[in-house]
Amino acid sequence: MKKRFLLYCVVTLACWSTSYAQKQTVTGTVKDASGPLMSASVIEKDIPDNGVVAGENGRFTITLRGTSRTLEIRSVGHVPQVIKLKPAQTSIDVTLQLNDAGMDQVVVVGYGTKKRITNTGAVSSISADVVRNIPTSSVQNTLQGKLPGFFSVQRGGQPGKDASDFFIRGVSSLNPDGNKPLIIVDDIEYTYEQLSQINVNEIESISILKDASTTAIYGIKGANGVLIVKTRRGGNGKPKVNARVEGGMMSPTKKPKFLDAFQTASLVNEALNNDGLQPRFTQQDLDLYKNHQDPYGHPDVDWYDIVLKNYSLQANTNVDISGGTDNVKYFISAGAFTQNGNLHNFQDPRNQGIDNQYFYHRYNFRSNLDIQASKSLKVRLDVTGRFGQINQPIFYSYFEPQSSGIMQEIYDFHIITPYAAPVLNPNGSYAYAYGPNLTNLPTINARLATMGYNRNSRTDFNVLTGITEKMDYITQGLSFEARIAYATASDITRIMQREADPPSYHYNPADGSYSLDKNGNYSLKQFDLHSGNQIYNKRVNLQAFLNYDRTFGDHHFYSIALFSQDSYTAKDSFSYALQVPAKFQGFTAKIGYDYKKKYLLDFNMARNGSDRFQSDHRFGFFPAVGIGWNMAEEDFFKNLFPVFQLFKLRGSYGIVGSDAVPDNRYLYQQFYNRSLSQYAFGESPSPITPIYEGSLANLAVTWEKARKKDIGLDINMLKDRLSITIDWFNDFRYDQLFYPGHIPTIIGVGFARENLASVRNHGWDGQVRYQDRIGKVGYDVTAVFSFAKNKIVYEDEATPAYPWLAQTGHPIGQPFGYTCIGFYTDADDIAKSPKPQVDPSIIKPGDLKYKDLNGDGVINEKDMGAIGKPNLPNTSLGLTLGLHYKGFDLSVLFQGAFNYSFSIQGIGIEPFQSQMQPIHELRWTPDNLDAKFPRLTSNASGISSPTVFPSTFWLIDAHYIRMKTVEIGYQFPQKALPFRINNARLYFSGYNLLTWTNYSLYQQDPEVSTNSAGDAYLNQRVMNLGLQIGF
Amino acid sequence: MYMKTYKIVLSFAVMATLTAASCKKYYESVPVEQVTPDYIWDTQDSVGGLANNYLTTIYTYLPLGFNRITTDFLDAASDDAISSQSGNTDITTMAHGGITVFTNPDNTWANDYAGIRKATIFLNNFHLVPMKNIYERNARLGEARALRAFFYWELVRRWGGVPLLGDDVKGLTDNIELPRRSFESCIDYIVSECDKAKDSLRTDPVDDNNLGRWTRAGAMALKAQVLLFAASPLYNGGNTGDSLNGYASYDPNRWQLAAAAAKDVMNLNIYKLDSPLNQIFIETKSPEIIFMKTQSTGKTVELANGPINFSAGPAAGYTSPTQELVDAFPMSNGKPITDPASGYDENNPYTNRDPRLTATIFCNGAPWLGGVVETFDGGLSRPGGSVVQTRTSYYMRKFLGQYETGSSFQNIVHDWSYYRYAEVLLNYAEAQNEFAGPDASVYSAVESIRQRAGLDPYTLDPGLTADSMRTIIRNERRIELAFEEHRYWDIRRWKIAGSVYNKPLHGMEIIKNAIGTFTYAVQPVFTTSFDNAKMYFYPIPYTEMVSNNKMRQNPGW
Repeated sequence: MKKRFLLYCVVTLACWSTSYAQKQTVTGTVKDASGPLMSASVIEKDIPDNGVVAGENGRFTITLRGTSRTLEIRSVGHVPQVIKLKPAQTSIDVTLQLNDAGMDQVVVVGYGTKKRITNTGAVSSISADVVRNIPTSSVQNTLQGKLPGFFSVQRGGQPGKDASDFFIRGVSSLNPDGNKPLIIVDDIEYTYEQLSQINVNEIESISILKDASTTAIYGIKGANGVLIVKTRRGGNGKPKVNARVEGGMMSPTKKPKFLDAFQTASLVNEALNNDGLQPRFTQQDLDLYKNHQDPYGHPDVDWYDIVLKNYSLQANTNVDISGGTDNVKYFISAGAFTQNGNLHNFQDPRNQGIDNQYFYHRYNFRSNLDIQASKSLKVRLDVTGRFGQINQPIFYSYFEPQSSGIMQEIYDFHIITPYAAPVLNPNGSYAYAYGPNLTNLPTINARLATMGYNRNSRTDFNVLTGITEKMDYITQGLSFEARIAYATASDITRIMQREADPPSYHYNPADGSYSLDKNGNYSLKQFDLHSGNQIYNKRVNLQAFLNYDRTFGDHHFYSIALFSQDSYTAKDSFSYALQVPAKFQGFTAKIGYDYKKKYLLDFNMARNGSDRFQSDHRFGFFPAVGIGWNMAEEDFFKNLFPVFQLFKLRGSYGIVGSDAVPDNRYLYQQFYNRSLSQYAFGESPSPITPIYEGSLANLAVTWEKARKKDIGLDINMLKDRLSITIDWFNDFRYDQLFYPGHIPTIIGVGFARENLASVRNHGWDGQVRYQDRIGKVGYDVTAVFSFAKNKIVYEDEATPAYPWLAQTGHPIGQPFGYTCIGFYTDADDIAKSPKPQVDPSIIKPGDLKYKDLNGDGVINEKDMGAIGKPNLPNTSLGLTLGLHYKGFDLSVLFQGAFNYSFSIQGIGIEPFQSQMQPIHELRWTPDNLDAKFPRLTSNASGISSPTVFPSTFWLIDAHYIRMKTVEIGYQFPQKALPFRINNARLYFSGYNLLTWTNYSLYQQDPEVSTNSAGDAYLNQRVMNLGLQIGF
Repeated sequence: MYMKTYKIVLSFAVMATLTAASCKKYYESVPVEQVTPDYIWDTQDSVGGLANNYLTTIYTYLPLGFNRITTDFLDAASDDAISSQSGNTDITTMAHGGITVFTNPDNTWANDYAGIRKATIFLNNFHLVPMKNIYERNARLGEARALRAFFYWELVRRWGGVPLLGDDVKGLTDNIELPRRSFESCIDYIVSECDKAKDSLRTDPVDDNNLGRWTRAGAMALKAQVLLFAASPLYNGGNTGDSLNGYASYDPNRWQLAAAAAKDVMNLNIYKLDSPLNQIFIETKSPEIIFMKTQSTGKTVELANGPINFSAGPAAGYTSPTQELVDAFPMSNGKPITDPASGYDENNPYTNRDPRLTATIFCNGAPWLGGVVETFDGGLSRPGGSVVQTRTSYYMRKFLGQYETGSSFQNIVHDWSYYRYAEVLLNYAEAQNEFAGPDASVYSAVESIRQRAGLDPYTLDPGLTADSMRTIIRNERRIELAFEEHRYWDIRRWKIAGSVYNKPLHGMEIIKNAIGTFTYAVQPVFTTSFDNAKMYFYPIPYTEMVSNNKMRQNPGW
């Protein structure tokens, strides 16, 4: 290295001496953010035939022949750069920017790749290096706002369980399992869990396939769209080692505030008074809560602060090595990821060695090998393993083995209140939640300090081996490829818990006495080991296909004929035995043609089937066609609008299917089931296991189908600086599996779902990207938009008594409820208004008043119409801003979701179920008529309860905008790097840094789902610092 | 060169084919571990093994009365009790007349029809099983038939006439939109099915191994109850005028049929009144109980209904009996407390009462778990505040184990009795009194119940009118059968619900005085509501109305 540097100096000096010579030699290197670029082309501007290709380490040498002294540097997938050399300059280092939208950008589609210029389908794609440094454990969390047509919501932030739910172009099936996109990693199907465990460092690119022409080759599994992940592989060259170390700090995106003991006690008294009950607290109690003079008799504890830390840590380390020769190419990577939880450490000495913190540990490795076995035969072997461990504390004792979340513990007013107990008694013993209406459990910290954990260990192991035989000896462009993939996952849970809660005492400061809790455990019981649900599954996939790709002059033909078979075996959760494998088999063909990259046409078809259907109609045919016309290649267009490099109109139409059958896979079979409970006759009972007739079979069950139309426009203009992609789509999803609504229950038995529903889903998505540089500052702006709106066209719904009760015509997931028209103002108002049919004494002024839709004078289910919008946003926007200057780069993603409804209920908000929160102070009182909350009541089933009477009052027409990811990096100049390091980058990255939303009053993260509000582990904001070095 | 690669490709292909084939080879195409009908209706099985399991399933559809309406007894929606839980619980919904086409906590429609279908499948297929023991074989057919009749009766007393499916088992492609049949045809059908079942069922008393199955007496007791209802004012003539809800005109002979059916059970001379009363509910075998739902041992009934705050037996105290029910118990001398000669002392209201009061209800001062039930204000089991506790100062005692001096709850038997001999006697007395007046057999039936209760004297005044006898029988029925899901239906079939409801129910406020004495004050605690125009019948559920074009709603809904 040193020697070479000296050599350079000498050469440079030598060149300087001949600087004004005609034939000057210029040397330099080309690289991009991830390292040297081999095979970049360097061309002298005014002499187009004077060009060289960069070689090893991106190094090139060119002899200038012209006078412009200007070089143009190009590389596939990068923005070309034009550089004017200074006088006397003979060496140059060029850093190219990646171009995500160039014409030659390669996108991965099913069983192959396509170029942006010739693609006819709706595909969005990103290169994984733009998301590699986002500090989150699950790859699907990184795609929000990056890919048009990709909708996702992250429901919670627990380490190891924070993977987002995602959908491609929204949802369009009423079948609960019918909206999950197919996930394909290196052409093998993955499950959601497997996807969330992949290390992003192993990924080369991610694509989503959205329309029929791209998904039809997946046939019966393609209707929900496909997410394709391609992993990295080795290239020619010396071993290249890359190491990345990063550490981050996590804190909740939203920290809920709870009222203190005095405020809570006052509100409790008020609520009881509202209900005509005796107040619980005397004025003296209230005073003591306020002045904190009696910390044990009248404690005031903010349990959130006691239990949860403000931040927790995560760390991520990755090392990969890649390279190869003509014969063997390799990519080998290993990674370790650790994410810690947000609990304070309460370890009791007797719990020594027991780790019941939340945490997630993951270790990944991958080895992708390509071997050129002979001139024509290529062999491939990919081996990957993932080992993950998720830990969480156990809160409940052996006898109540519910697993609850930490936020549920803190929110739940039955478990703890600010005045229920001190953190510890004066003698150091544990306290328990003391008082009426409390479960009297030991305090959260007492249980965290003494109870055990639930630890889930998962091992995934995948092997993919394949061959590619080039069969040019038969005909030019023909090749054969075959693969066998084996994937297995096992998931074992270890539950360590004590036989009972720890002993805890109520301390009475008046007489100094300690009284034991009601469980009467005088001693700390011993630990007990259990196993939880154990998962085991394996998948064997076999593919064989013929590829043909050949160009005859201006005519380009390509085709694929593929046979694929898949068998997936899972473990039965009841019998612990392996189930009958789920089998899938199919043939797929694709025929494509383009003329001068101008007229594009492809046919895709699949004939495949799955064992979810009767054997005589198991196979379906799924055809699709895609056409494209690249007008920018037409001469008239070039003349008229020279500004366009690409102006391509494309369209596709086709039918794809979905074989998702919820619950019972064998709808076409009727079983007689054994009951889990027994029934006994006789004086000395001998239990008999009841056997009963299961649901009636649906012999005609068939796959769901989607008729998909897509029209798209791809534009590149201003020398590829501006690229635009817009898609309009209209999908009609029919034959959905739905419970028939027209069958009276007098039939006396359940029945299977039938193909009895259809939904139309239409919308727009696209991306606009502009990139340029001003002087030395390069910048890019990318806007991504996705909009998908669905409507139930038909479902087998009995004609409702009133039109507003119908679900048909509304989107999937439409909430139904009462229309709130304010508060009851006084007794007179209550008397003359329609009321729910409940105990009239519980209806009081300050309760919510609902609209009597059918005018029958009472409020009941007949008045529950469609209110608000589904919880899943139907509009998603992303705006990425990028800047780079010399070694610095900055990228910021703002992501927003719009058009959805959020409501909250139960322990998230209802008084006496939830802790008292700031919103409860905005309650209705005779002096506060314009309230944000109805009158307080201790009655869990009062008429204002959002659980019992869901209404528009609680629904928020929600939206949010987030500073989702930020990355700031600095690439050290190579010269400054010591040892053999040739690439070093220091970066800061952030995740969920800022959030703007319109429902801060509910104190929830905007991505939390309506139903889990209040008990989800808070979504996390992450600030991360990383260093990447390569040598 | 190419030969070599061909070999590799070929071996790869062979490997692939083997892998492909292996999926087919080692596994079945569908799970075979599931039971199919062939195994149940096994044509080789001479003992009917799985068929018996199938028959057992139908029993699981029988309702279990303990705290059946979510957490409450059905009778907590009558005037006998209220729920201790304030707020909008299911039982208060019912007591407030909050039943709608959507909401009906006592909606047994789907459950009953599921039971009916399963019984019919059994009846249609059991002949395939070549059981050797003909007595046993017939008995099983009888059980299925009796179960089916029982489920129809559950439907009819809630909704009036309902669709009758007969021996049809409907498939998805059949016409399932059946119209409701008249009340009369339903009663006729149930009665004839009871008669048919009776002849093939096991004779009484049943052997110990089959305790809990239907017997002849069970089918006869069901028939007696059905006929008593059919003869009652709600159905017997006039009323809504709709044939779905009753007979077109009054016919006194219906009382005679009812009396005769009850008399048939009495004439078996097998069942008898057993004592002590409380024991019959917590033992596996009692000579009084004719048909019951057997249960494995447990303590759920105690946990749900026992008085609160006993550390030896923590209980939820869900059921608060009313002052109205307490007042219905006479003094131990048999005289009602309203009788000036009864000796009732308002300041000492729980002494010298009918022993059934103590057996049925916890009053203040009752012994329990080695301590005393305190339901005075601020007492152990009525501490005030918002914890669930009695709202009337009473807790339900019936069905609970005998833990007066116990130290904790144990797992004991809690079978739910549907028919017991005391009810048959009362059915007979009521029907006979209506048909023939208070003859000696009526006196004898009522007095035998009072005698078993421990009243002294247990005899009734001679020469009562039919009306006075009716009042006595109805009160006897109320206190003898309290909480056994009778009162709720009785006030309906007597057509007195309109006057029993729509007024406040009462509890006792007990203040403990400084010297240890108590002051008693009756307080209104809860107001029920009932719409005479429609609530004698439940509304047909909404889903049923919209999915069946031939379905007709009950009047007023």
